[in-house]
Amino acid sequence: MTTHDFHPQVKQLLDGELTLTDLPPELRAEGEEALRLLAAVDREPVSLPAVTWRVMAALERKRQRRWTRAAWLLAPALAAAAALVVLLGRPSRPTASAPTGMVTVRFVLVAPGAHQVCVAGTFNRWDPAATPLVRSGSGDLWVATLSLPPGQHQYAFVVDGARWVPDPTAPAIDDGFGRRNSVLTL
Amino acid sequence: MRCLGGLLLGLAALATTLDAQQTIAERLSGRVSPEIAGLVQDLGGAALQRGLPADPLIQKAIEGNAKGVPEERIAAALRVVVTQLDTTAAALRNAGFENPLDTVEITAGAFAITAGLHGRDITALARTGRPTPDVIVGLRVAGTLAALGVPPAETVTLVSQTLRAGASPGDLLALPGRVQSEVARGATPAQAAAGLARAAAAQARHGPPPDHGHPSHPPAPPHP
Repeated sequence: MTTHDFHPQVKQLLDGELTLTDLPPELRAEGEEALRLLAAVDREPVSLPAVTWRVMAALERKRQRRWTRAAWLLAPALAAAAALVVLLGRPSRPTASAPTGMVTVRFVLVAPGAHQVCVAGTFNRWDPAATPLVRSGSGDLWVATLSLPPGQHQYAFVVDGARWVPDPTAPAIDDGFGRRNSVLTL
Repeated sequence: MRCLGGLLLGLAALATTLDAQQTIAERLSGRVSPEIAGLVQDLGGAALQRGLPADPLIQKAIEGNAKGVPEERIAAALRVVVTQLDTTAAALRNAGFENPLDTVEITAGAFAITAGLHGRDITALARTGRPTPDVIVGLRVAGTLAALGVPPAETVTLVSQTLRAGASPGDLLALPGRVQSEVARGATPAQAAAGLARAAAAQARHGPPPDHGHPSHPPAPPHP
């Protein structure tokens, strides 16, 4: 099992507080490596119930599958999970059908030590408890799959009901309150 | 008779405003304090009278409350949102759009301004992006690119060139991901956007490559 102890600024990158270009040149390779590990974790396909597949197939509609991924804190467990996913050779971008006009989005957050993770945004009226993520894989990985309408959505993760965390791999904007909102454009 | 007509129009406008404020109050019910709800009703009602959407104000108020933000700060953020909506509406009019403006367009433009674009950028994109659906997607994508750190000039160039190349909405929506890919390879957001814009310009001149929507020669910006 490989373990990683990333530089604090790289952890800020994964927290969405910095971008790659904000990192000093000597840390960019480390930042890219961290993001690559994160991307590898995101290759895990989503399992949908068979009945849903049948309904979706009946609709005979192709649709985009948009992924969004995030890490709150990258821990050794993330590296292990990433390695496991790569070794298992999971498909990179599974496709599926969805109800008309909706786009399936997968939210992923690595939050070691968290007891509850939710996603709140414009799509659920910023309700910090309405859309929980479920623990997956290593135990530090939290996942939720939502069908969202096309358009522009802002969101953030809510860890343990109190900490608002932007998606480190998504674009982010000032929320007007001194924090950052992640942006999803579908 | 003319006075009576004016009075009726005024009453109708008042009724519309009161109805809109009632709708706003219902949407905010239980989600924000009475003080913030009142402010949103005032600002939202006035915005609606100017043809602006009230939804961004409602969303911002609910967001602030959900995040536990002090009321003073929520009020300040709401006023910023109003300014952004007004700026966008003015920018769209400068681009030749006439009243009533599309509220979805205004919302998309206000988001782009939040992300770092200016009114003149919205005007430039709106001029390039007609018809309306393209403007909306273009503004959303431009805002997303700005949120990725692409400077306004490069953002406008990239989205405009892509629109001129006849790109589909899907191609436009793919731009942020393509910029992110280039950044992950070491390019700055500006370099990545400039490279993609050059590819889009080439496509506009010579037609789409065999794999339509993806430039045959992806940009390879130099490492910083």
